[in-house]
Amino acid sequence: MPTVSMTVNGKRVSAEVEGRTLLVELLREHLGLTGTHVGCDTTQCGCCTVHLNGTGVKSCTVLAASCEGATITTIEGLATEGKLHPMQEAFREHHALQCGFCTPGMIMSAVDIVRRKGNDLDERTIREQLEGNICRCTGYHNIVIAIQSGAAAMKQSRPSGAPPG
Amino acid sequence: MSININTPSPAISGGGLGRGRIGQPVLRKEDLRLITGAGCFSDDVNLPGQAYAIMVRAPHAHARIVSIDTAQALAAPGIIAVLTGRDMLADGMKPIPHRPFSPHPADMPLENTDGTPIFTAPHYPLAPDKVRHVGEAVAMVIAESVAAAKDGAELVEVDYELLPVIANTAAAASPTAPRLFDQARSNVCLDGVMGDAEATAAAFARAAHVVRFETKIPRVTGVPMEPRAAVGAYDPAIGHYTLHAGTSGAWRTKADLVIMLGVGDDDVRVITNDVGGHFGTRGMLYGEFALVIWGARRIGRPVKWTCERNEAFATDYQGRDLVVEAELALDADGNFLAMRGSNISNAGGHTTNFSPLRKGVEIMSSIYRIPAAHFRARGVVSNTAPTRPYRSSGRPEVLYVMERLIDLAAREHGFDRIELRRRNLPTEAEMPYTNPFGMIYDSGAYHRVMEKALGLGDWAGFPARRAEARARGKCRGIGVANYVDTASGVPRERAEMTVHRDGTVDVIIGTVSTGQGHETSFAQLVTEWLGVPFDNVRILTGDTEFVKFGGGTHSGRGLRLASIVIWGASQQIIEKGKRIAALLLECESGAVEFRDGAFVRPGRGRTVSLTEVARAAHELPDVPDDLRGPLAAISDETITTAQFPYGCQVVEVEIDPELGSLEIVRYSAVDDVGRAVNPAIIHGQVHGGIAQGVGQALMEHCYYDPETGQLLSGSFMDYAMPRADNFPFFNTEYVETPSPTHPLGMRPAGEGGTAPALGVMINSIVDALSEFGVRHVEMPATPERIWRAIREARGGAQSMCDRNTPEVMLR
Ligand code: FES
Ligand code: FES
Repeated sequence: MPTVSMTVNGKRVSAEVEGRTLLVELLREHLGLTGTHVGCDTTQCGCCTVHLNGTGVKSCTVLAASCEGATITTIEGLATEGKLHPMQEAFREHHALQCGFCTPGMIMSAVDIVRRKGNDLDERTIREQLEGNICRCTGYHNIVIAIQSGAAAMKQSRPSGAPPG
Repeated sequence: MSININTPSPAISGGGLGRGRIGQPVLRKEDLRLITGAGCFSDDVNLPGQAYAIMVRAPHAHARIVSIDTAQALAAPGIIAVLTGRDMLADGMKPIPHRPFSPHPADMPLENTDGTPIFTAPHYPLAPDKVRHVGEAVAMVIAESVAAAKDGAELVEVDYELLPVIANTAAAASPTAPRLFDQARSNVCLDGVMGDAEATAAAFARAAHVVRFETKIPRVTGVPMEPRAAVGAYDPAIGHYTLHAGTSGAWRTKADLVIMLGVGDDDVRVITNDVGGHFGTRGMLYGEFALVIWGARRIGRPVKWTCERNEAFATDYQGRDLVVEAELALDADGNFLAMRGSNISNAGGHTTNFSPLRKGVEIMSSIYRIPAAHFRARGVVSNTAPTRPYRSSGRPEVLYVMERLIDLAAREHGFDRIELRRRNLPTEAEMPYTNPFGMIYDSGAYHRVMEKALGLGDWAGFPARRAEARARGKCRGIGVANYVDTASGVPRERAEMTVHRDGTVDVIIGTVSTGQGHETSFAQLVTEWLGVPFDNVRILTGDTEFVKFGGGTHSGRGLRLASIVIWGASQQIIEKGKRIAALLLECESGAVEFRDGAFVRPGRGRTVSLTEVARAAHELPDVPDDLRGPLAAISDETITTAQFPYGCQVVEVEIDPELGSLEIVRYSAVDDVGRAVNPAIIHGQVHGGIAQGVGQALMEHCYYDPETGQLLSGSFMDYAMPRADNFPFFNTEYVETPSPTHPLGMRPAGEGGTAPALGVMINSIVDALSEFGVRHVEMPATPERIWRAIREARGGAQSMCDRNTPEVMLR
């Protein structure tokens, strides 16, 4: 079985994987990072969203073997130095989660939306950009509010000159 | 029993005691782990040495199992075992203990008119002889890996003898329809009536107007975002089974497993950690839960099974699916006189549950004053996945029927929609109101709530908005729907409360949070009543090792029943504490008062805290024997009254008549929650409930091919789920009219978002299309259906927003 090496949440990791092993399987089963969830089998729900080299991807649709040398951030790696990421704070502050199953993917997608669309997000943009993430609990109301507020907070917390996200 | 929940009043001053009391939108305790990926959902559980199970599922909707050949599969690499229904029966497995109804004295009886018992038949985790819906499990393959198990499952050869299929609800009721159960006379398992036939006929005879409505409320499914998963283990040394699985109540799941395995009460432990949504789908044990622990015993290793989404679509308990014919009689002034009709509910491929049928029929008259009613209620089986109660079991369907009848009556007989509702809503003076089926609505300011919703939705300002939309070529419609919801469910609940020496308080309770935030709202109750800092309260659920009884989470019973037993336990703690405090304060216990989270001897200024008392219970030498040890209390209550949350929604939609596409432009909701514990959670529940109702009204549909019974909506590619861009921000408010039938005045808030959503959506759509002469649009009201309705109804009526519609569209 081929070995694949990558950096996950700042740590170098290597694992033996089969050709068919998905990135999400590597994360959940080999690395024990169970914060990334699997909600479907058709790349629709977004529960599995992580950042691959800084870009949001659905880890259920990425082969682990294709991630050689990649840098991955999962929900477990979003908080730094014991401090929650502003988007995590915003989700908690605005009650943007109920069961919490979609939440890791939602938060990772939200951070990616900010990367793509900037910190000043209007409601329409957020709703459209959430096309790839399904939540069954919240009716999205508080998620949209949280993303708007988290995006703004990311601007403030960002050291000047650093790229968003 | 009536309790003022705001006494005793704990201190607001100091120690963070002000935070987390009743009524505060305090941040949820559960969120930190859930936003950091540290939650523990069922598939996150792994046991050392576990093997993996895959189910072999029937590709046919109705077939006899002639034979199952497992030899090839068993020879495949990594396969540990292949188990069939025959193995299961040989080991003595009993069927899933479905109950036709959840027992609650406030619900109306529904029995067969001919006096025979309701037909039920065994439903086994693995079909032993016959499959009755696509996806029914016939064998379980256990292997070293999921991949090996899947490969092995491909090699299991099942020989089926195909049988005629019946997937349609109304057709299944026909005496000539293919029968699912050989031992039954037909597919009709339950055929009863509710109401007063004579009085209803008399009222119809003198009616000035009668309006008639026939509809099918389509089958949908709950789609919790966390697919089911289960890990089972067996300890042969002590003959003990352990199941890790997402349930709606660990204790009830355990009790059912004990029955299925025929073992002792203490031989099974069920552990439920975080649960990724429920909505009714997890209301009953799933066969796979029994299979993994049985499989673990068979192979001597833990067995894990994780459901894939396509399996979930085919085999999760589904919801709704009701065919209704209804008539409403009115006098010349618009007073409702009577209602009659017939409901047929589809239980699917097994006799799982007829609760939605009963819970619907008993409030067919909805929130309105209707003196007489009579309905026939039939429950049928068909070659579709089994159904069970789904968020607001049985009610959204019938509330929708009533709201459509009112709008149709208004339109066909020249009444104003709002006036008709005002005229027929019971007033506060009429409370408690007994509906024509015998349900007693406890209380409610129905008029006030409807007017509030109409204000919130700016009903009065609608004509101007319609005109403005029209100028843009859009058809704008507005709709209103009231609801009353009957919260009953398992009537018993139990709380065990312990005040520890360090001042922390543990509450063990038999509900399970599947997103409702029990760790937070239940802790708020303790903070309120014992004056304990919010952070010091721990709510422990979901493990039968310590949960000794629990009714689980359904029927809006979580907070509603938890509050009663947590109150009861708190009061016992205070009473016990007073006796211990009396020793410390050197006075009679009768002289001790509990105030601000501490025991005081009035006039003497001395106080001892709850923590000191808890410590003294262990350490003070002269503590009486019955108080020595942990300061703890158990409250176990059976509440035989139901509660009746109610409310009103107002919705505005804009439709593009050329495309049939729809946008919800305003959504307003007012709910009466009795007493609000955590406003943020309440609003969240309403938002989510609305989205589920709107999903059913506009897009969701479990579609079975009527000829073959094949499920054509088996993935997120085919089953339309509501997404963020389907909604505006919701405008939700609540009022607090204490429920007189709940000792703390509470009414549940979890189902009110969904209950009126079907009716209000279709009413607003039909209103938008009224200028074309569209009388009705069936659910799901997809753009195609709306577009066709416009085309069909138009026949000459030219609307102001009717521009040239191309001949071929959208197909
Ligand atoms: S699990 Fe990846 S999109 Fe659903
Ligand atoms: S919070 Fe439950 S699915 Fe989004």
